[in-house]
Amino acid sequence: MDTVYFLAAPITASLLLAAILSYFGNHILTRGIIFIDIAVAQVAALGTMLGILIGVQDGTLLSTVISLAFTLVILSLFSLAKFQHTELSREVIIGVIYCVALATAMLLVDAVQGGANFVQKTLTGSLLWVSWNDIVQMLLLFSLVICIHAFFRKQFIALSENSEQTTFSSYNRRLDLLFYVTFGFVIVQAVKIGGIFLVFMYLIAPATLAQLYTDSWNKRFVISFVTAMIGSLAGIYISYQYNFPNGPTIVCALGALLIMSILAQQKRLV
Amino acid sequence: MEGLIFMLPPFAACLTLVGIHGYFGIHVLKRGIIFIDIAMAQIAAFGVTLAFVLNIEEGHPLTYLFSLVFVCVAAYLFAALRCKKPKICMEAVIGITYAVATTAAVIVIDKAAGSHEHIKEMIIGSILWVQWPEIIKSLVVYAVIGGVHYIFRDKFIGLSEKYEAQKQKGTKVMWWDFIFYLTLGIVVMHSVRIGGILIVFAFLIIPSAISALFSDQWRWRILIGWIAGTLVSILGLFLSWNLDVPSGPVVVLFLALFLVLVILIKSFRAQKEAPV
Repeated sequence: MDTVYFLAAPITASLLLAAILSYFGNHILTRGIIFIDIAVAQVAALGTMLGILIGVQDGTLLSTVISLAFTLVILSLFSLAKFQHTELSREVIIGVIYCVALATAMLLVDAVQGGANFVQKTLTGSLLWVSWNDIVQMLLLFSLVICIHAFFRKQFIALSENSEQTTFSSYNRRLDLLFYVTFGFVIVQAVKIGGIFLVFMYLIAPATLAQLYTDSWNKRFVISFVTAMIGSLAGIYISYQYNFPNGPTIVCALGALLIMSILAQQKRLV
Repeated sequence: MEGLIFMLPPFAACLTLVGIHGYFGIHVLKRGIIFIDIAMAQIAAFGVTLAFVLNIEEGHPLTYLFSLVFVCVAAYLFAALRCKKPKICMEAVIGITYAVATTAAVIVIDKAAGSHEHIKEMIIGSILWVQWPEIIKSLVVYAVIGGVHYIFRDKFIGLSEKYEAQKQKGTKVMWWDFIFYLTLGIVVMHSVRIGGILIVFAFLIIPSAISALFSDQWRWRILIGWIAGTLVSILGLFLSWNLDVPSGPVVVLFLALFLVLVILIKSFRAQKEAPV
């Protein structure tokens, strides 16, 4: 019974993350900007690190605000610029952002106390040590975001489907910005708890799996949601049984689910 | 003078990396698989980690073999997926491979001491401490791979530019693609040992992004990429030596700065020529 109590918080947290991120994943995949969240997460981590450097402790409100500010600036630039340079694809820009954020973080790593530790934490997260306080915060934020997305449901889907086009009305431009801003809020909060890789996997793996089976948005939302849930529970169970770190185990469980369904799909085609 | 001698190996290492990555970067950009090398690097690193856990000494041929096997499997996977074309986006597969390889390494190494430092090392590398034998070994490998790519340049370039056309011509696309990914994987394996993931990634995409702004021809793009890479390496290594900061990140930041400058200059010139 003790273990159930101990694991209750991480399980709740991972299910919350699974729910919201598997939803966003469908948008991200349709837009074809797979690596945006790794880049954004790295920028957020850089913000936190700069905060530590000027004496703001990790985990305080101010530190969250700083990393949020960094993230929003980058995402707004990304959304507004709608890069006119056709020679450079958006993925290249994302790659360069990631590179620069990572390089700057690495320059600072020795100046910050416990820097190397912090780098690992941003990669793998600390799901096991999540507090109920964090969970309530997440729940509030995610509900708000979901409400916004439910309200602009049709518009957001249309934007994601036409993300290649470069001319937008100013209304659509603002909507696009709103999409990225909500995304930024979610990523900053999610990375703090789950780490970059878990967040990335929650975004991409369930959505990819869903895309294997259907094109309809509603079905994709449902399939990816269910996949993310199964992956989380299986991952946490395995990590508890074999004493593995749980974030990474969930990542591997989701990977295994995806591989299995690709194989199943191949067989069906042959 | 002493500084100069000390900086000679890292500079040579940078040039070696610029040489091979300037070329591969164009392929990678054309194919739109920007993050492939991070994934490959991580897969190779997973092999090393596994060997480490199985108590195989560092530098033992078996370690190399482990990495090679994993890179082979990944190369086959990427080639097969591109050929079979299920309804999956290639970048998604690459990203997932990256995430799984990294976290699997974290699970495996969890019990080993100093894992924080290990991860940091893996990212920034230690190009300042690279030794001549390592550079020469890599140079030989790169030369062989570069040679293969030069001889079969029509095939490789064709695959990167017009995959479907090649397929219709009856080329065995899957096997050529496999060789492409395998050679890229081997290159990245060596490069990461010299420079770390960060610098390898930057050398792969930034010089070719710069050259994409100027030209569409492979020969010019390679040349422009090489020039940009060399200039930035000199500047970055010089500054990192003088300011006593880690050289990998500095070189990467300068590369990015260079790209931004080029974009700015180009857009100013474009505005001047054709006022909108």
